[in-house]
Amino acid sequence: MSETDTLLTLDNIGISFGGLRAVDGLDFSVQKGQIVGLIGPNGAGKTTVFNIITGVYKPTDGAVRWKGREISGLPPYKVADCGILRTFQTIRLFSGMSVLENVLAGQHMRTKQTWWASLLNTPGQRREERALRESCMEIIERLDLADVANEVATSLPYGVQRRVEMARTLAASPELLILDEPAAGLNDQESAELNHTILGIRDSGITVLLVEHDMNVVMRVTDNIVVINFGKKIAEGDPHSVRNNPKVIEAYLGVDEDDDEVAA
Amino acid sequence: MRTVFYRWIGPAIWIIGLGVPLVLGPNWISILSIFSIYAVVALSQDIVLGRAGMFDMGHAVYFGVGAYTTAILNTVYGWPILWTMVPAVVLAALVGGLLAAPIVKLRGDYLLVATIGISQIFHLVMVNNVAGMTGGPDGIFGIGVPSIFGYQIVSQSGLFLVGWLLLGVVLLLMNNLENSRLGRVFRYLKEDELAATTLGVNARYYKIVAFALGAGVAGSAGTLLASQLAVVSPGAFVFTESVTLFAIVLVGGQASIPGVLLGTVLMFVVPQVFRELAQYRYFVFGIAMIVVMVIRPQGIWPRRRRIE
Repeated sequence: MSETDTLLTLDNIGISFGGLRAVDGLDFSVQKGQIVGLIGPNGAGKTTVFNIITGVYKPTDGAVRWKGREISGLPPYKVADCGILRTFQTIRLFSGMSVLENVLAGQHMRTKQTWWASLLNTPGQRREERALRESCMEIIERLDLADVANEVATSLPYGVQRRVEMARTLAASPELLILDEPAAGLNDQESAELNHTILGIRDSGITVLLVEHDMNVVMRVTDNIVVINFGKKIAEGDPHSVRNNPKVIEAYLGVDEDDDEVAA
Repeated sequence: MRTVFYRWIGPAIWIIGLGVPLVLGPNWISILSIFSIYAVVALSQDIVLGRAGMFDMGHAVYFGVGAYTTAILNTVYGWPILWTMVPAVVLAALVGGLLAAPIVKLRGDYLLVATIGISQIFHLVMVNNVAGMTGGPDGIFGIGVPSIFGYQIVSQSGLFLVGWLLLGVVLLLMNNLENSRLGRVFRYLKEDELAATTLGVNARYYKIVAFALGAGVAGSAGTLLASQLAVVSPGAFVFTESVTLFAIVLVGGQASIPGVLLGTVLMFVVPQVFRELAQYRYFVFGIAMIVVMVIRPQGIWPRRRRIE
């Protein structure tokens, strides 16, 4: 892999909360066009890693780099502006707003409307609003949501809400899409469709970083898997080698199966 | 058909309202003048509270900044009333933005307490005449009337029309806000700030914009209040006024233009009509607040979802 193909690099990342070392000396990188899986037992620090990448937390040590430029310490909205967009483990849609209005949120960064153009309803503003709606409707159709475009997003079934959140994130035209447990709460059929959706996203030129519990999803779609436990990387490689790695097996068998929720 | 009806009913009522001075007596005209002014302030409170979802319990301060700006510029420097509206709006927006900047990161209830603090400080500063220009507890007297093309608007009807015009402009702006990027951003921040932030919304910036915008609109109403009453005193902008504005939005319906207008009618028009019962105003409205919050927490006339 040449240097120019590396999108995201985590360089010796560490973070402490009080006395707890949630992430410790973590290194990995994401290459353009890959689907990378980040897995680990519950409480391993996966969501913390996501929060560090997206600027919600600032790492205590180390640096996050985006195309070689350090981005750790930037506020979340500036990280988003770099082209790093995420979904949430617990779906976070804007309640009381339609599917279309939710998806329009993704286009926020791509619109130029000033606050006074918004207030004065200028001809340019109206033109932009029409164009916005058209491009959002395209994304909505692509994710098979056209029937519910005007429904209140939070009143839809769980699996559909996942797709709405995905549509909203895609509307922001990400370069790197970070999916936080996208299969959580989905039934078998929905999770099979999800595999399809994720592969489709990659084929449209978007790099994907995936945190997932559902091994069916992880093993089928990822090119490279990073396994962490107690905030440290314990293995990395293609799905086959990771699955047979004794350290990974030990880490997974060592946890209580009932302990299903990770702190967000 | 229904959407066409909904779209034109508002403007139609506004146009009919222009004829009020021809039909109704002087009592009604002055009641409706006060209504226009307070409706503008209530709508501006709604920008911050109902749309952007920030608990601003000191909104009367910005109304006061506008009123005092007009009073001082008119009585001391002889500016025409309508010209003072420009600095009144700008100054109120600046004060709103600057005071909001350090506190908008606070969550709901904490922000509420901070805005109460702002309200109390404003009152103290005005009562003690700190700047030496605000006339202390008595305020400023002898504020003039607006004039258009050199023609002085002395009649109550004229003052009403000026207020009605301002209300029309503000309603137009609020309507534009509904289908615009700015209006949507406010709602995203209200519904889920973290999700909005990860989609690239600079939350702090837009929250300050919401405060500045709400404050500026309140400032414009301040100009008209100063002129309407011919006197500006600290008592008109005390904490209870802010509470009233806050309650109007919650009781009427957050982010709902008809709801906020209805709330203003209940608070400022109904008590005037039943003048002999005016002393029960807070009693009746207090009970209404409790009842509405319990059985209809979204407000009497909640926001209607627009189908596109």
